[in-house]
Amino acid sequence: MKQDRLSGQGLRSRRIDITRWIFVAPAMAVVVCLLIYPLCSTVLYSFTNKTMIKDSFKVVGLKNYLDILADESFYKAFWNTLKWTVGSVLGQVIIGFTGAICLNQVKNSMARSTFRILCIIPWAFPAIATAMVWKWILNGIYGFLPTMLVDLGITEQMLQFFSDKNLVMPTLMGINIWFGAPLIMVNVYAALQTIPQDQYEAAQIDGASKFQSFRHITIPHIRTVVGLLIVLRTVWVFNNFDIIYMITGGGPAGASTTMPIFIYDTGWTGRLVGKASAASILLLIFLVILTVLYFKVINRWEKEDR
Amino acid sequence: MKAKKLLAILLALVMLLTLAACGGTEDTADTQAAAGSGDSADTAQELSGEITFWHCFTQGARMEAIEDAAASFMEAHPGVTINIETMSWGDFNTKWNAGLTTGDLPDISVAQNTGEVAEMINAGVLADISGVIDAIGRDRFSENALGDMTTDGVTYGIPYYSHAQVMWYREDLLDAAGLDVPTTWDEFYEAAVALTKDGVYGAGFSCSPNDLLCTRYLNYYVRSAGGSLLNDDLTANLTSDIALEGIEFWVNVYKNCSPAETINYTVNDHATLFYQGTTAFDFNSGFMISGVESNRADLVDYISCAPLPLYKEGDPYYSAEATHIPLVMWENSENKALCQAFIEYLYEDDNYLYFLSAVPVGMLPSITGISDQEAYLSNETVQKFSEEAAIIEQAVEEGRAIGFEHGPSVQAGLLSSQGVVEEMFQDILINGTDIPTAAQAAEDQLNEIFETMVG
Amino acid sequence: MNKLKKIAPSSVFSYVFLTILAVFCVFPLLWLLVSAFKSSNEMLANPTAFLPKDWTWENFKTVLFTLKFTVNIKNSVIVALWTTVIATFVSCLAAYGIIRFFPKLGNIMTRILITTYMFPSIMLVIPYAVVMKTLGLTNTRVGLVLVYMSFSVPYAVWMLVGFFKTVPIGIEEAARIDGANRLMVFTKIVLPLVRPGIVSTAIYVFINAWNEFLYALLLVSSSDKTTLSVAVKTLEGADILNWGSMMAASAIVVLPSIFFFCLIQNKLAGGLADGAVK
Repeated sequence: MKQDRLSGQGLRSRRIDITRWIFVAPAMAVVVCLLIYPLCSTVLYSFTNKTMIKDSFKVVGLKNYLDILADESFYKAFWNTLKWTVGSVLGQVIIGFTGAICLNQVKNSMARSTFRILCIIPWAFPAIATAMVWKWILNGIYGFLPTMLVDLGITEQMLQFFSDKNLVMPTLMGINIWFGAPLIMVNVYAALQTIPQDQYEAAQIDGASKFQSFRHITIPHIRTVVGLLIVLRTVWVFNNFDIIYMITGGGPAGASTTMPIFIYDTGWTGRLVGKASAASILLLIFLVILTVLYFKVINRWEKEDR
Repeated sequence: MKAKKLLAILLALVMLLTLAACGGTEDTADTQAAAGSGDSADTAQELSGEITFWHCFTQGARMEAIEDAAASFMEAHPGVTINIETMSWGDFNTKWNAGLTTGDLPDISVAQNTGEVAEMINAGVLADISGVIDAIGRDRFSENALGDMTTDGVTYGIPYYSHAQVMWYREDLLDAAGLDVPTTWDEFYEAAVALTKDGVYGAGFSCSPNDLLCTRYLNYYVRSAGGSLLNDDLTANLTSDIALEGIEFWVNVYKNCSPAETINYTVNDHATLFYQGTTAFDFNSGFMISGVESNRADLVDYISCAPLPLYKEGDPYYSAEATHIPLVMWENSENKALCQAFIEYLYEDDNYLYFLSAVPVGMLPSITGISDQEAYLSNETVQKFSEEAAIIEQAVEEGRAIGFEHGPSVQAGLLSSQGVVEEMFQDILINGTDIPTAAQAAEDQLNEIFETMVG
Repeated sequence: MNKLKKIAPSSVFSYVFLTILAVFCVFPLLWLLVSAFKSSNEMLANPTAFLPKDWTWENFKTVLFTLKFTVNIKNSVIVALWTTVIATFVSCLAAYGIIRFFPKLGNIMTRILITTYMFPSIMLVIPYAVVMKTLGLTNTRVGLVLVYMSFSVPYAVWMLVGFFKTVPIGIEEAARIDGANRLMVFTKIVLPLVRPGIVSTAIYVFINAWNEFLYALLLVSSSDKTTLSVAVKTLEGADILNWGSMMAASAIVVLPSIFFFCLIQNKLAGGLADGAVK
């Protein structure tokens, strides 16, 4: 297939020189326009003592970066972000992926569309609604779930999902998994649908077992899509601000403060734009490194596919 | 196939509709703007032009009062456009802060309290509003209130309504337990502990750093003993004996009579506890009445309020915190004459009374000559809660904003807006940090913030 | 009996798993809807009860008519739909272009794209607000749609690149030989093949635009252009809470998206499996 594509490309490369740009230009324009200014201004501010309320600012060199790197709460926020991201993405992928495979197994089309609609519901929740519903359901004084657990004799006391510092992160991750798993499910399911059925039929004729066809047809076919999804989810979850902000605001005692919350507290509540910019740049650098690593893996898969 | 066609038609229809709606509204906005600017160039005398008013009166009736006032003002002055823009209190701060950078600022706005006005003055974004005050009558305002918003002899804010912090309690619960209304902190604590049973809690102590409740509560205690959270030189003071005692007092309240979950509660979560009858005591202004009324109308008959508890029996009366919600005029406004005219219009008796009646007793008049009018007194809630209103009025009269006992300052605003005191309490309660260490750390952090923001 | 025997264990597991998942997914929505039909009084007086004693429409009436949420609904629909249409269109072109015409440059292009996606929106919002001010697009829905491209397009291109890769070039070659031009190949052959991918991407874009909060809060201030999620937050930030209205308002934010899912869901099923290739 690779051969095919390259030769096809070679034959026509001149003629389509302009058309090909028409295809990508709009997207590139969007991205370049929306990236350059914010990036430059954030980099610039990160070297200054700019605050939100004053116009004037001085260049302070690396001071912001040094301050942040010496700040204990930065490391705590960073560690929280890692927990939050790994926990949420892993949970979302495992549940979403399993859901998609299961959905693909369901032959009854009525049942399939019912499940599909029901399982996608969490995704329709904006952060504000997510926060409100879960805060009520899990409320430690009169919440539905803690009360039920006590009534059923599973726990002795009302569980403090949001105020116990050891429980708050797992709770938030659970909510995020609830929110994000449908996205993985829909996309993986869509990818499963693009696998040509005749490949399975051929495999069946060749006497392959179900597991073998899963291993050699399904996985290679969808792993690029799944890999990309993981990259995008990782970045999204890593940067996610509103779910945590609206549920716990980062508390109690910083137990759920992730990097975006840290940046918000520094830049908005504390008005220290310079310091917040420096933190954003550090965050960005980390994400770039992380995605480069991811891509190494995905690239290898792609090569194997060919 | 049919379903597909239906879907396609539906989508197309929606797109068309939105397109029409999009085009339609933008057109009218353009023509309005054009008309507005044209007029202002032509006639200098007649009121004309366009101004934007940011407010946070998100509750239905207050929003309507403001919108109605704007509508009738525009009717009286055909060349005028007033854009009323509503946002929540929490978002308001974010919005104007962002506006400082982006230039997207209003002509007139509210401010959350006098402390926020101090911050706005510090940022240099407000215009002198003395003209409006003089037009309404300077002597009709409380001197304290105007003083809180005056810097170098210039007044930058005009109080729109006032309220103050008092102690709310549930009469039925106190009666059932055979308790009197507490008058000192010790009595309050004992009563709160005694009432903590059977799913009811004595009082909530809420510590979310996104709100100011810990600062507020600590300030009550410190003020009751005549202390202050700020030194005379406007540095923070959380390590005085009385402050440390106050911290310990509230830590005990949290441990012994508050639901555990309040450790991270915001103002709203906190207030809900009293609304729903989970707590027996709460500290709040007259807004409590409307809150209970709209959520648990059956409890309204059982709530009442008293002045904040005293430090020791026999101490003189004090008021720890009074809030005047001001209107301010922004320096960047190009049409200050219109702003002034509209603000004056809002204070005209009919408009003002209509506005206050949206949250009776919660919003007390900031000017004299209102509360004795028949229209004001005839309100059902005002009649029912007349005793409570009198208690709150006294607290308004004698109180200042948190930290304003040293005069208006940015530091006072920052004291409650940065969540430092709240983080300190969370640190003590969750990580078990001892009180003097945590207080010292918080004090240092506040002083550092003061230096960065003011210095 | 015969039928029962044929059911494979894997399919039983699928049903069980999906049922549990569905319950977990649906419960909060049910809870929200049921609560929205309770009066505030009932909700606060008896917070652990699930079903209301008296069903009431009052909350919905208040939210829609007194608080004028209909305006906010309209705004959200406008912004989310236009974002979806534009972002999906632009991204389809770009994804296809990158795959077919930029075998070498493509990787770099996509990587530049992903960089935008990595910026936390908290830091982007101020620069964006400045840009919108300069362009005179502050306080307009057009500005909001534009800014929404910043998180929609990178995502959409990324996802679509993955989907377009699954299209065998042979099909295109064949169509070209049959005399179809490049645009026809793209619209008539390639797009239908990746339809499930496009639809799921479009849903994602729509939902994100519909739910977005921070940009909507800071870039638009006039009440008649505010989107739904900002309007709901306004209720929460009020100094007198009315829990009944808040529940109804939240239900109103969630329901249109679900309605949208239901409308579009058979689109999701299509694709190669339907025999579009054959």
